[in-house]
Amino acid sequence: MEKILLRNIDAPDSRTLAVYRARGGYRALEKVLSEMTPERLIDEIKASGLRGRGGAGFPTGMKWGFVPKDSPKPKYVVCNADESEPGTFKDRLLIEKDPHAIIEGTIISAYAIRSHTAFVYIRGELVFGASVLERAIEEAAAAGFLGKNILNSGYDCDLILHRGAGAYICGEETGLLSSLEGGKGWPKVKPPFPATHGLFGCPTVVNNVETLASLPWIVNEGAARYVAIGTEKSKGTKLFSVSGHIKRPGVYEVDMGYPFKKFLEEDCGGVANGKKLKGVIPGGASMPVLRADELDGVTMDYESFQAAGTLLGSGGVIVMDETTCMVRAAWNIARFFAHESCGQCSPCREGCHWMEKIFQRIEQGEGKPGDLDLILSVSGNIMGNTICPFGDAAAMPAAAFIKKFRAEFDRHIAEKRCTVSAGQ
Amino acid sequence: MEPVKISIDGREIATEKGKTVIQAAADAGIAIPHYCYHPKLAIAGNCRMCLVEIEKMPKLQIACNTQAAEGMAVKTQSPKVLEARRAVMEFLLINHPLDCPICDQAGECSLQNYYMKHDLSASRFDERKEHERKREIFGPYVVFDGERCIKCTRCVRFLQEVTRTDELTVVNRGDHSTIALFPGQILDNPLSVNVVDICPVGALTDRDFRFKVRVWYLKKTPSICPGCSTGCNVSVESYQNRIARFKPRVNEEVNSHWLCDEGRYCFHSLTEGERLTAPMIRQEGGLAPTDWDTALQAVIAGLGAALPMAAVLSGRNTNEEAFVFARLIKKLSPRAALEVFYRERTLTEVEKVLKSPDRSPNFRGARDMGVGSENSFEPLMSDLIAGKFRGAYIVGEDLASLADLADLAGDGGKIQAALARLSFLVVQDTRLTPTAKLAHVVLPATHFGEKEGTYTNRRGRVQQLNAAIVPPAGALQDWEIFSRLLAAAGERSLFASPAEIFAALARDIPAYRGLGYENIGECGIQLEAGQP
Repeated sequence: MEKILLRNIDAPDSRTLAVYRARGGYRALEKVLSEMTPERLIDEIKASGLRGRGGAGFPTGMKWGFVPKDSPKPKYVVCNADESEPGTFKDRLLIEKDPHAIIEGTIISAYAIRSHTAFVYIRGELVFGASVLERAIEEAAAAGFLGKNILNSGYDCDLILHRGAGAYICGEETGLLSSLEGGKGWPKVKPPFPATHGLFGCPTVVNNVETLASLPWIVNEGAARYVAIGTEKSKGTKLFSVSGHIKRPGVYEVDMGYPFKKFLEEDCGGVANGKKLKGVIPGGASMPVLRADELDGVTMDYESFQAAGTLLGSGGVIVMDETTCMVRAAWNIARFFAHESCGQCSPCREGCHWMEKIFQRIEQGEGKPGDLDLILSVSGNIMGNTICPFGDAAAMPAAAFIKKFRAEFDRHIAEKRCTVSAGQ
Repeated sequence: MEPVKISIDGREIATEKGKTVIQAAADAGIAIPHYCYHPKLAIAGNCRMCLVEIEKMPKLQIACNTQAAEGMAVKTQSPKVLEARRAVMEFLLINHPLDCPICDQAGECSLQNYYMKHDLSASRFDERKEHERKREIFGPYVVFDGERCIKCTRCVRFLQEVTRTDELTVVNRGDHSTIALFPGQILDNPLSVNVVDICPVGALTDRDFRFKVRVWYLKKTPSICPGCSTGCNVSVESYQNRIARFKPRVNEEVNSHWLCDEGRYCFHSLTEGERLTAPMIRQEGGLAPTDWDTALQAVIAGLGAALPMAAVLSGRNTNEEAFVFARLIKKLSPRAALEVFYRERTLTEVEKVLKSPDRSPNFRGARDMGVGSENSFEPLMSDLIAGKFRGAYIVGEDLASLADLADLAGDGGKIQAALARLSFLVVQDTRLTPTAKLAHVVLPATHFGEKEGTYTNRRGRVQQLNAAIVPPAGALQDWEIFSRLLAAAGERSLFASPAEIFAALARDIPAYRGLGYENIGECGIQLEAGQP
């Protein structure tokens, strides 16, 4: 498998401009600025089939195409580096090891929509990453890849690094924009969409770190080569960050369509300590969990995960072995979402906490008959009825844990204790 | 606007492109339940109560943020919609204290009303409720209960968009989200109590009104605020013949949905205090009660012998009263100085959203009726102080207590002294004011809340005043006093009601020609531009 995203990370000092350039860095930007119109660039990215790597998987070229060409307002590009999804740490690796790929991708994205101001919104906790990016932006600016008249092309673009203040919801693109505007990180009611009314009411594209970091390779090698990798609807490579009860946790770059079971057993070395696999969340904490017996034939791409009843999401693979109490795992995730709900709309504000309280009660041996159906009902009432996808992100795992491990939940309620975990 | 047709619950509705589904439905008389939506505020979309089903859309959509498009088919009563509504009600109530028995909003609470209509199921919430701040004083008139709050942010948006004073915001996350004052702020802008009106629940209540009356006992009388000449439409809400509160009535031509704090509470100073219940006449040893016939005869005789005379009508008197007053004064002394009370003050930017610079709600109407003219009230006061009059007839204004008349370089003391020097002074008012105490004859009258008639606001809109409460026995309506005095002075035509007077003024006053008293309705009639 060819490395597209992780091609530079093992090189010594990969985060410096010198090493990045020595490895072919900023050639894509030169090519774009000297040879391609924004329209051709958008067509090329559309042809590559690249889909947003933040979780939703929306086609990147199409997203750019929604930005009105004739708007008199300034246009903005925002690199979403607010990676906060539990179990997800792929963007962090790119930020710390290959910041120039992100910067180059961001300038390419800005050029595509004729924007002259771009932002990187980085998660507040990524203090080291922010310092790496800041240094890289300074280097890029000093070398003429940012600022006025980039590479004598007449194209101007500034890149501004902005650190978040610690809220999961600021990774949601409109929550991010509210925060970047200086307000509370509240997602915006849609429509209108960011493509026409984004940052400060101006046309805006928000792209994930991994999406942007894919662009230089696609521009250099051509869409045809990218399309050749992957499946019919999932093109190219994808980063997966693997954590939990696994022998070799870490970030892996995988061709879309790679067999999931093989990935876990061979690439990641299988479940740690010789234990048996119980369940795995393939796309970050907000995605439905799969049981070990559901993995046969599942491949690592948008359509196969969807067919299996879950979603690719951010590619945060969380592995749970046979000693894991699924009640406790579900409560853990529910507690996270209750804590991170922004509180703006009623179903999420009230429902996330309600589910968390019931999970907690069950876990602590105070569950009652009917509790599970109540959680399913509450999650169903949140699902699809909120301002932003956070509601679904909280509702989906709650329902999935109960549906997939119902017997264990029932036993936990009946016996008023955990019957799985050692030492519980 | 481009006309489009949509269907709501199978009913075809003609509306305009760009209108939201909730507006189009409201125009067609279909109520879609909502909390955060307010027609005069930006869309927040946070309560999720207005979720409706729209054909070809997989998810339910909020009606407040969905624009009507040709052929759109909306369902507001499908099983999916009804269940979503019930679910939103359930979410809003799980942490609500359910303290309706001690909540002032009970009876006019959207949580109560929608629960009865869209939920009616027992609580499934068996956990500990979250607690929040209680009884927090936000400002001089507004108190906050964080547990009743549903975070619809109407109050926050009102203060951002209408007053632009930004006192409130939402702090914290999740179910700890709550409305709070910005540090160092108090909610004391001149329109602050509107946040109580638009709060759909009992989170923001009116400190002046709360705990006084349960709202279902209130008698609601549509009327006009007497605070200034903007003429805000109000509902005068009374209990046991006392005014308990004003609430704004919607009139897009005048006050939209709003009412200023000063206007809202002006009824206290205008209606409270010991009332006059019999005419009084000056005798040795002071004012003594007398009967109406004696008092009215004394007025005719006294004023006739005290020329030149000044006559001052209150800016709160109606058009009908002004019309008869003008006729009376001209009968008594054709050369009398006749004025309506009018003074201006400087307004702040926020006050200008609603307020007019005066405190004379009907100064324009009174002038239309022939009582006074522009820039002539203060010169009349100067003449009074200069001793140019021997007699005066003052209606409804406590001139002796007037302080700092800016361009008179004097104070109330001078006016008081001038009034005391008059050889004959008639004062018609509701209470024994310092001015009334100087009078030779005092006539007990009524205030705005007890009378019917019309006011003409600053912009020339004729609006209807209605009697919310009944005056005390012994007092007479101002128009009736003037009418009886006219009779005592020898005029034959006696009016029997404000409606009859209006008919007469609609014949005599050119700008009002053709207006019908019964056509004024609850929103008033605009006089044609260009006419006085």
